[in-house]
Amino acid sequence: MNHRCSSVSKLLEKYFDQEVTDEEKRLVEGHLPDCPACRETLHSMERVRNLIKSPVEAAIEKESFPWVCQKIEREIRLKERPTVRESLRSWLDRTPLFTRRVLIPAVVALAILIFVAAPLLFKKSTSYPGPSVVEYVESQAYNVMVYELEDSKGTVIWLFEGPEKEISTS
Amino acid sequence: MRRTVLLFLFALTYSLFSASLVFAQVQTRIRVIEASNVGSSIDSSLRDVHGQLGSLFSFSSYRLLKDETVTLSPNQPISVPVHPGRSLEVTLIKQQRDTAEVRVKIKREGTDILNTLVRLSPGRTVSIGGPKHGEGTLLIVLSRL
Repeated sequence: MNHRCSSVSKLLEKYFDQEVTDEEKRLVEGHLPDCPACRETLHSMERVRNLIKSPVEAAIEKESFPWVCQKIEREIRLKERPTVRESLRSWLDRTPLFTRRVLIPAVVALAILIFVAAPLLFKKSTSYPGPSVVEYVESQAYNVMVYELEDSKGTVIWLFEGPEKEISTS
Repeated sequence: MRRTVLLFLFALTYSLFSASLVFAQVQTRIRVIEASNVGSSIDSSLRDVHGQLGSLFSFSSYRLLKDETVTLSPNQPISVPVHPGRSLEVTLIKQQRDTAEVRVKIKREGTDILNTLVRLSPGRTVSIGGPKHGEGTLLIVLSRL
C-alpha cells in the first residue's frame, strides 16, 4: 500500500456512502482500477450492506404499518376541524338571535328589567340583629323598661306607673 | 298588533302593582291578655305566652281578652280597642324581607300614652305590658304571622 493508497483508503467509506466531494470522487475512482486492495475493501463494504439491507427491506415490505396511516388520517382530520372561534363566528352568523328584529326588543326588555330590578338588587339591606327589636320607645305617662327574653324569641316592653305602684316581678 | 302590545303592557303593569301591594302587607296577630295572680288558670291558647314570660314575671293566671289578626298595609294605622277608654294603634312603617317595622301606640282617651317602633319577624313576639287592668295587668302580645 503506497502513500496514495493510504490516503484513498481513508476516503473509501465516505465514497461508499456517497459523501465525498467531486475532487475526492475523482481521486478514488482514478485510484481503484490500479489498486486491488482498495477494490476488495469496497467490495467488502458492499457485501456487508447487502447482508443487512436485504432482510430489512423484506421485513418492511411485509409490514403494512396501519398505525402510521391512522396517525396521518387523524392529523388530517384535526387540521380540517374548525377552531372554537371559527365555530362561534359561524354560529353567530347562523343564529337568528342577533338579527336586528330580535336584538333590539331584547336589549330594550333587558334595560327595563335592569331598571326595575336594580333598586331591589343594590338596595342596602338593613340587617336586624336579634336583640335590637325595639327601635325606640317613648311614654309621657309611664317609666319604660325593655326586656329581651333569654331564648331571644321575644321582647317585653314593660310600663311602670311609678315606683310606688311598680308591678312585682320575679 | 299595537292594541295587543298595549293590552299586554297594561296587564304587566297591573300585575306588578298588585304583586307589590300583596308583598307589602303584613299579617299580625294581636292578643290582649289580663295577667294576674288571682287564681291559677291559664287559657290554653296562651301556653306559649306563659312559657315565654313565666321566667320573667310571676303571674299565675293568664286570661285572653282579645285575639285578633290584622292585615297591615304601609302607613295605614289600624286601631284595636283594648279596654274602655284605651286603644291600640298599629301601623306598618316599612317591610324588609321577613322583618316588618311597626309603630305601636297605646292611646288613652285620644292621648298617646305609649309610642314605640318595633320590628316584627316570624317566630318572635313583642309584648307590651304594665297598665293596670281590673285585678291584674294588661298585656298585649304582638306576633307576625
